[in-house]
Amino acid sequence: MFPLPLLRVLALAAALQQSTPSATSPIAPPRDSGAAIRSITIDERLAAAAGLSVGDRVLLAPAAGAVGDSVVIAAITRRGADPSEVARSEYRVRLHLDHLETLTRSGDRVGRFAVQSREEADPSAVSAAINEAAFGFRAYPAAEVAVETSATFRVVNRFHRAIGVITIVASAIFLLCITLLKVDERRRDVGALRLIGMSRSSVVRAVVLEASLVSLIGSIMGAGLGWFASWVVNWYYQGVYATPLRFAIVTPSIVVFAVTLSLGLGVIAGLLAAQRLVRRAPLELIGR
Amino acid sequence: MREIVLAARDVRRDYPVVGEPVHAVRGISLDVAAGDWVAVVGPSGCGKSTLLNLLGAIDRPTAGSISIRGKDVARMNDAEATRFRLTGIGFVFQRFYLMPTLTASENVELPMSEAKVPRAQRVARARELLTYVGLGARADHRPYQLSGGEQQRVAIARALANQPALLLADEPTGELDARTGTEMIALFDRLNRDGTTIVTVTHDEELAQAARRVVHMKDGAIVDQVVRRPLGDDAPAARGATA
Ligand SMILES: Nc1ncnc2c1ncn2[C@@H]1O[C@H](COP(=O)(O)OP(=O)(O)OP(=O)(O)O)[C@@H](O)[C@H]1O
Ligand SMILES: [Mg+2]
Repeated sequence: MFPLPLLRVLALAAALQQSTPSATSPIAPPRDSGAAIRSITIDERLAAAAGLSVGDRVLLAPAAGAVGDSVVIAAITRRGADPSEVARSEYRVRLHLDHLETLTRSGDRVGRFAVQSREEADPSAVSAAINEAAFGFRAYPAAEVAVETSATFRVVNRFHRAIGVITIVASAIFLLCITLLKVDERRRDVGALRLIGMSRSSVVRAVVLEASLVSLIGSIMGAGLGWFASWVVNWYYQGVYATPLRFAIVTPSIVVFAVTLSLGLGVIAGLLAAQRLVRRAPLELIGR
Repeated sequence: MREIVLAARDVRRDYPVVGEPVHAVRGISLDVAAGDWVAVVGPSGCGKSTLLNLLGAIDRPTAGSISIRGKDVARMNDAEATRFRLTGIGFVFQRFYLMPTLTASENVELPMSEAKVPRAQRVARARELLTYVGLGARADHRPYQLSGGEQQRVAIARALANQPALLLADEPTGELDARTGTEMIALFDRLNRDGTTIVTVTHDEELAQAARRVVHMKDGAIVDQVVRRPLGDDAPAARGATA
């Protein structure tokens, strides 16, 4: 809403020129002098860093050491779940537009501002209408701006996907080898079953059933573990960055994908392992 | 006249190995009547196990014919032989070969479930067989909870599950101590008296002495046969639990 460089200056000034010790100041209504005292809002991070709370008075100036206004903190704001803001370390202060203009002596200068349309209005139609009527600036629908600013995240997303595919391929090979080894350990049992008259298909069916059960249980446990890990990650980083943003998510579609994939891999691995065993003669299997 | 359950004619088995092939069984002919108990004895490597595997449709002879209850075992393809092992033959091995994850009862039920016997029926028969071999109270125990002798009893119950025409046992007392071995021999004797036709292969002199007929093998051939107790010598009881 405000030009960013300006905000940064303001925030710095506000942090440096805190005039009232917050611990002793009562959370009182701000209007205690003749002239109406202006109010500002600060973000949680600034409040935490400077030990400020609602009702505190601070000196607000355009630069450190410059003449400023005494203002009261009317509210403490929480940051939105916007990934592009997470890593930003600057503080945020909001003040009324006219107050900002007088304080910075920069009347009639606004870099950006947001227009909220009615629910039923089509954002692109609204921005087209504004662009037609106004001169000297451009309006964009919020969705377009979001796409523009999230380009980095899409690259990161693609990168994560690539890591995911590599992990899946590597673990699939690993799983296949493990299953082959595990089934091969049961060589004697399979040989004995064949000796007492179990058909090849019965043995294959039993092995595949067991392999798919193991992979089903495994993938459900894995999904549970993933859910817990993402909870820990979110808990930790939401604390670090003071944001409600979720850093890791386990969606139902991810769970379905994981379970389906591991079930498929389990069945294939079981099938291959069992086929390898039943091709051999039972006497050879029991190692006579 | 008793039914001939097993008729082997001039059976040979050569193992193709590099150089001279091994002639493990060289022209054996053997008839086993219903209710008989034959013990095959002989020095190690004389071909006893090879012969038993041929009789049990586990292996196929190089030449000769083997007929069990009129079925030509030697000419069966793999699927037919597998099916025949399931329903026509009962096997008891030296090392038991029970499924370690299944209970005694489930191990006995396994061949019946493969043969599509209804569940209630196979559970009842498994109980009955386990009781017959003296393990009625251990039906829900797993192999690791059972002694070697008990495991072998479960294996015998499993071998009888589908009411086979013939019970084949390769060194059934080989892994057991002398006393447990003697108990096992008593069980085989009871089985035979109750009508089960048995062929055992063994080094165990005591087991051989208990059989009705002892067949001596050497270098892949039968060299001597001794009938110790002719059939009908002791009237077998009604088929009882094995029927
Ligand atoms: N798969 C095979 N390949 C080659 N030779 C074999 C094979 N199986 C058995 N033989 C040979 O056939 C002969 C008979 O073996 P078999 O196992 O039948 O003897 P056995 O009388 O049962 O001996 P034991 O009393 O020690 O069990 C042996 O000389 C053995 O080396
Ligand atoms: Mg042998």
